[in-house]
Amino acid sequence: MSYKIPNAPVDTRSPEELAEREYGRLKSDDYLYVSRHPVGEPLPTPVDDEPPYIIYISTYISYLILIIIGHIRDFFGKIFKPQDYEDLVEKNGYAPWYDGFESFYVRRLKLRIDDCFARPIHGVPGRFVKCFDRFRSSNLRYTYTGTSTECLNLSSYNYLGFAQSQGVCTSTALKCVDDYGTSACSPRAHCGTTDLHRECERVVAEYLNQDDSIVISQGYGTNANLFASLVDPECLIISDELNHASIRFGIRLSGASVKVFKHNDMNDLNKLIRNSIAQGQPRTHRSWKKIIIAVEGLYSMEGNMVNLPEIVRLKEKYRCYLFVDEAHSIGALGPEGRGVCDYFSIPHSKIDVLMGTFTKSFGATGGYISGKQELIDALRINYITNIYGESVPPPILGQIISSLNVLTGKLNKGEGVERLKRIAFNSRYLRLGLKRLGFIVYGSDDSPVIPLLLFLPAKMPAVSRLLYDCNIAVVVVGYPATPLSSSRVRLCVSSALTKEDLDYVLTKFSEIGDLTYLKFSSGIAGGSKIPGEPPRWSIEEVLEHNTEDCKKPKLT
Amino acid sequence: MASQENVQATMSTKLVTATTTLQPSFEQFSSILADKFVGYLDYLNNIPGGTIVLRYIKSSYKNDPVRSLFELCLFILACNYFLSSKKKENRSDILDFSEKEIDELCRQWEPAPLVEKLGPQKSWDLRCTPEIKGHNGAMVQVTTPHIGERVKAVNLASSDFLNLNESEAVSSAAKSCISTCGVGSCGPPNFYGTQDVHVRLEEDLSEYLDTEQAILYGQDFTTAGSVIAAFLKRGDLCVVDSGISLALQKALVVSRCDLEWYDHNDMDHLDRILSELSPILDKQKPIRRRFIVTEALFSNYGDIADLPKIVELKNKYKYRLFLDETLSIGVLGDTGKGLPEYYGVPRSEIAITIGSFALSFAASGGFCVGVTPMIHHQRISSLAYVFSASLAPFSAKSASSAIKEITTKTNSQGKSVLISSLHEKTSYLYNQLKKTLTNRFFSIVSSPESPIIHLSLDKEYRKRLNLPIFYGNTEFLLNGKPARKSNGFSQRYNLESYILQKVIDEVLIRENILLTRSKNALDHENLPVANPHLLIMVNVAVSFEALDKLVKTLEDISHEMSHKIRNQEDLQILEQELLTY
Repeated sequence: MSYKIPNAPVDTRSPEELAEREYGRLKSDDYLYVSRHPVGEPLPTPVDDEPPYIIYISTYISYLILIIIGHIRDFFGKIFKPQDYEDLVEKNGYAPWYDGFESFYVRRLKLRIDDCFARPIHGVPGRFVKCFDRFRSSNLRYTYTGTSTECLNLSSYNYLGFAQSQGVCTSTALKCVDDYGTSACSPRAHCGTTDLHRECERVVAEYLNQDDSIVISQGYGTNANLFASLVDPECLIISDELNHASIRFGIRLSGASVKVFKHNDMNDLNKLIRNSIAQGQPRTHRSWKKIIIAVEGLYSMEGNMVNLPEIVRLKEKYRCYLFVDEAHSIGALGPEGRGVCDYFSIPHSKIDVLMGTFTKSFGATGGYISGKQELIDALRINYITNIYGESVPPPILGQIISSLNVLTGKLNKGEGVERLKRIAFNSRYLRLGLKRLGFIVYGSDDSPVIPLLLFLPAKMPAVSRLLYDCNIAVVVVGYPATPLSSSRVRLCVSSALTKEDLDYVLTKFSEIGDLTYLKFSSGIAGGSKIPGEPPRWSIEEVLEHNTEDCKKPKLT
Repeated sequence: MASQENVQATMSTKLVTATTTLQPSFEQFSSILADKFVGYLDYLNNIPGGTIVLRYIKSSYKNDPVRSLFELCLFILACNYFLSSKKKENRSDILDFSEKEIDELCRQWEPAPLVEKLGPQKSWDLRCTPEIKGHNGAMVQVTTPHIGERVKAVNLASSDFLNLNESEAVSSAAKSCISTCGVGSCGPPNFYGTQDVHVRLEEDLSEYLDTEQAILYGQDFTTAGSVIAAFLKRGDLCVVDSGISLALQKALVVSRCDLEWYDHNDMDHLDRILSELSPILDKQKPIRRRFIVTEALFSNYGDIADLPKIVELKNKYKYRLFLDETLSIGVLGDTGKGLPEYYGVPRSEIAITIGSFALSFAASGGFCVGVTPMIHHQRISSLAYVFSASLAPFSAKSASSAIKEITTKTNSQGKSVLISSLHEKTSYLYNQLKKTLTNRFFSIVSSPESPIIHLSLDKEYRKRLNLPIFYGNTEFLLNGKPARKSNGFSQRYNLESYILQKVIDEVLIRENILLTRSKNALDHENLPVANPHLLIMVNVAVSFEALDKLVKTLEDISHEMSHKIRNQEDLQILEQELLTY
């Protein structure tokens, strides 16, 4: 028992067993699928199901109650327990670190369910993740018992299951420590460029069918400073409303004008581009120097894919440039894992700036920018993260190179294809199962990110804790990452999970769904047994038909 | 709803006309108004939902029409306020086009290329990046496109001052971590991305730097931008050294706080500004957050901030101090704890300290240390922490073991062995250079304590070549807002860099020693940019003989160069030479 996080307990299981716990073995070839969008067919608009009105009303009432209670507690707390509010008031002439009003949501709402976030783990976040057991001893403190619980992992970004502590990628990374050290020691232009960096950039560019690429030591940092090198205040960036914080930060820093279009709404985008070109810059009405459309390949909170065929058509028609952030889609989508372009069978060369990260699919960290030689050359001397930021540490490069080589079949032939087919199957299997059970899930059929809607704020901790008790680790997300009324559980599927794992997840979800009243889909998003009726399959029926049905072209 | 509004609107106009024709007697006015008013209200019964409105009006009316009139005015005002969105204000700016005209305009529009193609004036810069083959350390196998391969070059271009990248302890720590945790952390810190090694490093670091808590970031360069933006909002105030690095410049731009600049390391100027501001700030209610922002060891100039004086001033005027220790952690002070240790100032005087693991600690990532509420706030509202994957576990582990290497191996005076060796070599090289570089080609601009020795072309010599005192622009300093237009290409900056590159190449060819120079993205610098410097980064594992050799060669080369490039005409020859580099 201690307030400090204990050291990781020693694991005495055999290496084979541990390997199985990091990446489950495939039991049957039936559990494979190839994800690809049929060429020429329009991308179906994802249907976002609506819950019954009572859910909406009770959601707002819940927030109202939480806010009122929060204010009451603040009011009396400031009188009776001033020591708890020291951080919010001026002290000796110094302003508080943060506003009481600004931090109200965090103090009074998020803090109540603080145990559902930031659970410390140890070891590999692979098929299973080992969370330290803890209980809350005061508002901000936890007591650790010294033991840990192994949970089925639907929370980590580990789409292709490359989070492993053994196997070819780990050996390469270990060898890189011996051959290159632990750090790159310096920014790229001074002496932080090794032959390994060059090789990695070549491998990445080759994987994306582009001329060249730059690797950066952090995904967030890749976006956060990129736009300043591409645009100036006379340029326009048209951005999807749900773009990631890093893109928005980058755009803000660039000083360019920005216009936002409705998430994935191509008509709105079309109208916006046409009007922007016609109107030109505000006040002066001079024409824009250039227009960049910034979208993500796979939206991590919605599970939606970008409508790439349509956007490419629009960008070519109006001669805009296209920036695609493939943070979640690279590796996870497409028959060869080459991202959304691969999935939609669109040549990578049609995208002007391809950005992505190595965190999610490849078990590494960092990001990349890939594109035409001209672009990359210009960025090498004009891109501040590349010039001033630290260079990527060698073991990470080793992990990137080897995992990409596994995917292309240069290493362990066959393993890469299996990983890709497994993530495609697992994503569809879990999604269809949840739909049929009656849950509201968002997103495209092939997306490995499955947001399951909870709506009521109180269901976030309930579901998270109940699942944790069943040894399933999930991520719950609420406001401000999502709209106020649509709190959700976000499931990240991985190749490392077996079909049996998913069956277990479905069974437990079914039970918890009944317990917490979560099965309220109307059936408009698919999953109904009889068209027009809300889907409420029993768990037995779901498991019986799921393997065949999830491989049908459309998930219904 | 719309129809109700119409009715009420017409009602109000009629009421107004009625008032103008009436007798001035108030009772009469109000009784007639009341009759008419009730009469009009009966129309409401015909509208769906109107009965509810009617009931409300009747209950609030209470025989007092002025009261109802007042309520109506309020209602109209509220409607008007909500309906006029911000977009509407620009309505007048929008031109009306037909679809056909828009098509035509779209067809005519000529976009600029995504990026300008690099001309030969700039592209030489690409070809002088050295590529290290194999292990980065004190001795490297290096290739540059211009010179070719050098098998065993002495590396004085790496920021790994303590040479921990070659330490057995650090690399075995990293390896043991990779074999238990894999390489990546696979998630943001708040979602199962916090591992025991991360928490250990936070503990180690806060113990090492003697603070309450620490927080880790995935990359050093984004740390400043994220930390500053978490605490400084519009209306807050920063008094900033005008020599800060680009990372801090960008951070301040993004935070949108009010800025005051004091001349680089000029404490009198800082005092003056603070005392001028203090009468205004004393009246401020509520008090806003205010900071003094400075680097400990300046990356642009290689000098160190006068911490005791700053601390004295900040306490006098009640400012918090933000100190960027990116370069000074693991460098300054007897055990590498940075500038406060060097001056004997307690760390608690510094409200926010940020730093990097990627330099002296041979790991990667950045950090911030300070009091608990400050760190705790970042865990929820610092963008780069919340929205990005956590530091790779093995990096955290190597940083922990680097701290151990620095702190546990001490000599009889309690100084860290590694750090004191670095200090010894730094001051040796500094003094030797000071003694020999007397031919007025180079002059040292950095402080004697800085392990990055900055050599600048001499002031007089630069004047002779007609090179400007600084590059870039001063708009950010003067207006508090960065210039709208970026600096653009500067041929003289380019040439000055090229002269330094020639020196670097010569040193590598003659003595097999790798040096570097300051490499800035002039386009992105918001503050005036110092002239390019030749950088010598001292490394503990480099022998004194190699340093001697370097001093001798630099002396020779600077003699030769100062003879070769004497005036502006010589610069023009260089301009041609650079095209074929």
